[in-house]
Amino acid sequence: MSPEAQVEEALCVAALNVPDPLVRAQFLERACAGDARLRAAVEALLEAEGEAESFFARGRAVVNGPELDAQAAELLRQAAGMATDDFTDEQLGSRVGRYRLLQKIGEGGCGTVYLAEQAEPVRRQVALKVIKLGMDTKSVIARFEAERQALAMMDHPNIARVLDAGATETGRPFFVMELVRGTRITQYCNEQNFDTERRLKLFIKVCHAIQHAHQKSVIHRDIKPSNILVTLQDGEPVPKVIDFGIAKATEGRLTDTTLLTSVEQFVGTPAYMSPEQADNTGMDVDTRSDIYSLGVLLYELLTGRTPFDTKMLMQSGMDAMRRTLREQEPQLPSTMITSMRRTELTLTAGQRHAEPPKLISQLIGDLDWIVMKALDKDRNRRYETANGLAMDIQRFLDNEPVVARPPSQAYRLKKLVRRNKLTFIAGAAVAVALLIGLGLSTWLFLRERASNEREARLRAAAEDRAKITQAVMFVSQGKFEEADGVLNQVNNFPADPTLDCASAFRSVGEWLALQGRWPQASERYAALIKVDQLDNPSQIIFDYQACGVVLAASGDRPDYDRFWQQAVTNFDSMPNGSILLAGLLLPLDKAQIERLKPMAAATEKLIHAIPKNRQSEWTLMPIGLWQYRRGNDGAAVQWCQRAREQSLRFPPCDAVVDATLAMAYYHQGQTNEAGSELVQARQLVDAKFKSGLDRGRAGAGFWFDWVYARQLVREAGARINCDAARSESK
Amino acid sequence: MSDVTQILLSVGRGESQAAEELFPLVYDELRRLAAARMAREAAGHTLQPTALVHEAWLQLVGSGDRNWNNRAHFFGAAADAMRRILIDNARRKAALKHGGGQERVALEHLEITAATPDEHVLLVDEALLWLEKEDPEKARIVALKFFGGLTNEEVAGNMNLGLRTVKRHWVVAKIKLFRWISERKP
Repeated sequence: MSPEAQVEEALCVAALNVPDPLVRAQFLERACAGDARLRAAVEALLEAEGEAESFFARGRAVVNGPELDAQAAELLRQAAGMATDDFTDEQLGSRVGRYRLLQKIGEGGCGTVYLAEQAEPVRRQVALKVIKLGMDTKSVIARFEAERQALAMMDHPNIARVLDAGATETGRPFFVMELVRGTRITQYCNEQNFDTERRLKLFIKVCHAIQHAHQKSVIHRDIKPSNILVTLQDGEPVPKVIDFGIAKATEGRLTDTTLLTSVEQFVGTPAYMSPEQADNTGMDVDTRSDIYSLGVLLYELLTGRTPFDTKMLMQSGMDAMRRTLREQEPQLPSTMITSMRRTELTLTAGQRHAEPPKLISQLIGDLDWIVMKALDKDRNRRYETANGLAMDIQRFLDNEPVVARPPSQAYRLKKLVRRNKLTFIAGAAVAVALLIGLGLSTWLFLRERASNEREARLRAAAEDRAKITQAVMFVSQGKFEEADGVLNQVNNFPADPTLDCASAFRSVGEWLALQGRWPQASERYAALIKVDQLDNPSQIIFDYQACGVVLAASGDRPDYDRFWQQAVTNFDSMPNGSILLAGLLLPLDKAQIERLKPMAAATEKLIHAIPKNRQSEWTLMPIGLWQYRRGNDGAAVQWCQRAREQSLRFPPCDAVVDATLAMAYYHQGQTNEAGSELVQARQLVDAKFKSGLDRGRAGAGFWFDWVYARQLVREAGARINCDAARSESK
Repeated sequence: MSDVTQILLSVGRGESQAAEELFPLVYDELRRLAAARMAREAAGHTLQPTALVHEAWLQLVGSGDRNWNNRAHFFGAAADAMRRILIDNARRKAALKHGGGQERVALEHLEITAATPDEHVLLVDEALLWLEKEDPEKARIVALKFFGGLTNEEVAGNMNLGLRTVKRHWVVAKIKLFRWISERKP
């Protein structure tokens, strides 16, 4: 192919990705840069595109196996020299496996659903879904069989069980399900003019069903209104989740709105697809993907629309669609309602038994944030479990404070940075893919084994997640003892923990520390700094400080040293007074002093860069203690006195300064000065602990600042009194 | 070791000749299967070409997708076989429609817009013969997708190409084929 032709083709393909004719024209204008011949050639290709498309679409029967229709089948019959007959549907009255087809009850893009009768072992009516798309029936069934055990363990009033799977005589896969005669949940709520509260109550039941499945390590993967049917039992609406296990068996290619374009194969129902599903890496879908889809469902129940419009998603083309799902923040539900046209707004509100202003005010705030938390692009920030989501909604209904919160500025910024990292991750993924390709055969061999192990791992992880969610709930209700009990049972910390998870460990750890239960508190804190990678940096630094204090207070020096090692490794030569302080809490050996030098030097350097009027006692104090620890008593005294001169002073810091000075003076032989400093420090600390320690706050000092001060006062006291006692005894 | 397994192994080792040897076996197998199926089954039952191909594969090598690589090559051969079957049939039917007796239908008499699915297939086949000389890679993609019913992923695996490349080529190939056809037909 000539280079010219290559350029023409490349431009043509690129232009086809731009659906808007105006934008496309602009693109060509710029790309061809006045080369009229090139422009004409590309235009000619583009012009033929539409007709070529429909020409081949007419042959799609042959083009795409999945869409093979009667005519293609006929051709093959001819090949076999046989007569033609109808191909499209299973015959009513005919048998499929053990089932007799009675009536067609539904038809979607993916398959046809029949009412069928099972004669053995019990006579009952079931729903039988025959999959239309041409798929490798054997592997569909094999995948179903793999999950069959897990599916069989599901037993929940809101789940319609999948009973059986097999192949029809024509080689299409079919699934047999508990028969549910119901209306899709969104439609039901609209028809009944359910108000927001009733919708939420119905939705909570759906969450419980999904939670049940997750605990049996079954992920639905295709949650959407048409898979959640509402039936009436004793006059009560009961939602039933159908199609469990089918999405996995058919590798997620099974949806009502399958999108089939010439360039791309199947895509799910894009509006309900989680960003990680849309990303199409396929490997990496877990229970939190279902949480996202539940979020979309909730969004639609509340506003009547999905966060992203299905039509727009489909029209924008595949790459743009992925990008939207991956990067674009959906509108808040309340904003979505507000932006509707008058007629739609009135209709939507009416279906929710409310006036528009009332509906909007219901959504603003808590419900907005609950939905957005479920819809977070980063699954680590979503609800940990479906139960967590349900409980937050329940709290909203009970007028209790909810867990979901609006994202902070710092978080938004961090996400921006993270988004740009994706480019690099994509590059790494390609490299990984290449490596996998090299070891393909080994991989195929290992895949089977890995998938079993993965199941077990997923199940254990799901259990741990459930426990953490429970702990989060207990914490929010102030039941710390219970939360502590549940956290104690967590076997493995989640590989990618959520903010909720971190805050549960923090709250419980803090609660234990305030009661002086140091060994237990240190366990929680040691876990916290392992799982806490998402919070804003200042929170993480506080956690390190608290952790150091708690470990020292529990009196376990090896544990403190391990923590010390981790803190110094993580922060290395970063200037950070707080981390430095945490590392100076106990006397250090020579190697540790050496190791801490870069951080201390950086911190000292930073102090010079801070304007004098922004410096505080806390800014200078760590260097004072650092100089003392390394044996520079003179410098220690100087820094401590400078710290004291600051106008911004804090009671616990005063005590730390006093205690440090006491030790430095004592070391220099100024026993009297040492004594009076020690008395001062001790008075401050004693008074605080007598009045009772509380969580505290920034400025006045946190509980761990005070425990820190007490630790140093004890050290100074031990040093000075002990020597005094010894000299007396002489 | 069966012939087919032997050949598939050779294909796996990259002996291109082996693919050609595989074709007649696949072709015969497909025909045999279709005939047997139709003879066995009563009216009202259906025959789906992809199912047929899958079954042929299982018959030939005895097990499912144990080796993806060989499977991909099998589908390549199956695509060629399907193409042959489809073309032979279309020729026969079109010949009947145009009075019968002729060995080959004169394609000049066909109109694109009014083409029956059979004629459609013939047009694509002829255009493809041209594209095979012009741009063999694209032609192969069309053969695999159009006649073999392979997915983009399968084509990519079969030809050792990237998925995006396959998609790009497929778009352009359709345009080129269509233009070639429409330049020659009224």
